[in-house]
Amino acid sequence: MSKPEFIYTTYIKTTPDKLWHALTDREFTLSYWFGCSLHSDWKVGSPMQMHKGGKVVNECVILESDPPRRLVYSWHSVFDEDMIKERPSRVTFVLEQENNAVKLTVTHEGFAEGSKTLPSISGGWPLVLSSLKSILETGKPLVFTEACDAESA
Amino acid sequence: MSKPEFVYTIYIQTTPEKVWEALKNPEMTKEFWGRRRNASDWAEGASWRHENYDDPDKISKVTFAIDEFMDAVRLTVTHTDLTEEGLRGISAGWPAVLSSLKSLLESGSAMPMTTKLWKRAG
Repeated sequence: MSKPEFIYTTYIKTTPDKLWHALTDREFTLSYWFGCSLHSDWKVGSPMQMHKGGKVVNECVILESDPPRRLVYSWHSVFDEDMIKERPSRVTFVLEQENNAVKLTVTHEGFAEGSKTLPSISGGWPLVLSSLKSILETGKPLVFTEACDAESA
Repeated sequence: MSKPEFVYTIYIQTTPEKVWEALKNPEMTKEFWGRRRNASDWAEGASWRHENYDDPDKISKVTFAIDEFMDAVRLTVTHTDLTEEGLRGISAGWPAVLSSLKSLLESGSAMPMTTKLWKRAG
């Protein structure tokens, strides 16, 4: 049985600094993260909240911050009555420069067996990271005609 | 216990037809697939050999699912019947190939790391 975790690697034609900004800037996240904006001062120990539609959907805490190489925060989905009962999980972003691109590896782990958050984020991360790559490379995020209810990741 | 498998989903601002074309056309695959091409007539059941550089008889199975998703395309690659060692190799390869495919279809050029021949195991 495989570990309950989600790992995703993508390569983006950008610089580590621009990618770090894209992952942490409140206004910029709103432009590609399907209506979510990320609010934090990004210092270790500080809270980070993901807002969507005027509500807080995920409560996070910054665990590690080494710009522009490594970012780690805890993740607690609070928009769903089952997910809110789960213990927080953990998201790690590793940014590695390779030639004129950045290799971004996202590891989301720390889920209990039967977690409802895990399938939710497993569907959400490829959407968000694909949209992130599109906006950094073409200037436009992925365009979807309706507000995605493909979870809040 | 089932053999290891690898699943990767990527969303591309394009049409299903363009994704299909990119996978089949050698002039395009050489850009995003490390200067390789896929030799097949692509009929269902036809053979499709994207050979293991070091061991051409190691056979695994790749499924491409190309779906419309809102105004974009969701491409899901499922790679099955792998050995543990094979899984390690392709887990590194697919994200690079598919990231490069997305760049090619959205911005007109593939990523530099995939335009040259890769010498890689698995």
